[in-house]
Amino acid sequence: MLTRNLKRALLDSQWPVPPTFLLPWAASLTTVSHTTEASNIPPPLINAAQHVPTTDRSSMSQATVGSPSAAAPATSPPPKPFKVSPPALSPTVRDLLPVLAAQGPHFITAHLYDRPYLLTQGDTLRLPFHMKGVEPGDILRLNCASNLGSRDYTLKPSAPPPKLRSPTTRTVNTVDPTISSSGTLGTTSMSMPEAGTEISPTSQSSTPTIMAPHFIPHIAKGKVAYLDERLYVCRAVVMGVESEPLRVKEKTKRRNRKVKRVKSKQRHTVLRIKEVRVRGVEEIEGGFEE
Amino acid sequence: MSLTTPSVRFFRITLLRSAIGLPKRTAGVLAALGLHKRLRTVYHPVTQDVAGQIFAVKELVDVQEVDQKLSDGQMRELRRPGPGFWVEKRVGQQAQEEVERT
Repeated sequence: MLTRNLKRALLDSQWPVPPTFLLPWAASLTTVSHTTEASNIPPPLINAAQHVPTTDRSSMSQATVGSPSAAAPATSPPPKPFKVSPPALSPTVRDLLPVLAAQGPHFITAHLYDRPYLLTQGDTLRLPFHMKGVEPGDILRLNCASNLGSRDYTLKPSAPPPKLRSPTTRTVNTVDPTISSSGTLGTTSMSMPEAGTEISPTSQSSTPTIMAPHFIPHIAKGKVAYLDERLYVCRAVVMGVESEPLRVKEKTKRRNRKVKRVKSKQRHTVLRIKEVRVRGVEEIEGGFEE
Repeated sequence: MSLTTPSVRFFRITLLRSAIGLPKRTAGVLAALGLHKRLRTVYHPVTQDVAGQIFAVKELVDVQEVDQKLSDGQMRELRRPGPGFWVEKRVGQQAQEEVERT
């Protein structure tokens, strides 16, 4: 976890994030050579938040500074408390987040392995898979959420929906004139990174992280944008592991007496949601200890 | 005056429309490119041959010039979703801390 927060702090300070963050890059390749755009990334773009009040429901879109999703489970030594760098909040979010926090109870659409689960405090969640490496009693922090809301307000990420087609236009940034090392004047032109080229910190496992060099449509399919994880706290405790009833699948062909029987008994991890909390603006901007 | 632009050397080709019902020649071009299923992505170097192949199936594919080529394994790793959680406290850890304290 120390590694994850360190990476996050580094990313906030050095690298800006484009408005769309579609792709949680998870794996690793140290030999991947980056495009020349990597060194010429523009400063962080903070989108103007749009507040559309309606009669019953008002949803606020929040300008996230693109904190990417995914953090792998922490390793066995207990992580030391680490001060998290605060995100940049738009004025609308700063105004409405306390209102959202005051109107309990809250729901959250948490994503585990990109699958959404609509949760609130006190829910019992039976996952469709067996979660490895955890024991009953372990406390998990869910950090991928696409929606966080109450009865009248919903906090959503401001990223646009992912597209299957790559962008048709390309922005080229030309610096004219440029003084080269030899002293002569020249022109330098660099193309801007496309939307969707996410540079994200990823798992805190021992393997180093991959960075997607460019937008890939078929990988973007099905991906959603996540909220900044510094805005909320969502804790779940592992209750145990349940088994489904034994299923027997019979496999046979017509006019063949041989019947093969395959039995399945899948295991499911059961979680109980202990806490769904919206952080206060002071807590977010002042920085908090993880 | 020197103009330096990043050198793009690969086409990233993604099949978006199926070739079912189209002439065999079109399906043959897709097979030659390595696109056998919808939403598969392949990387080919930027040459006149490949450009001609793309032109033959231009209505079915999405193409972009990129700097580097990704292998199938790399794309699989990119597709892998993140866990979405991390373990804050472990039961075994707590017991270990208590034992260390006493």
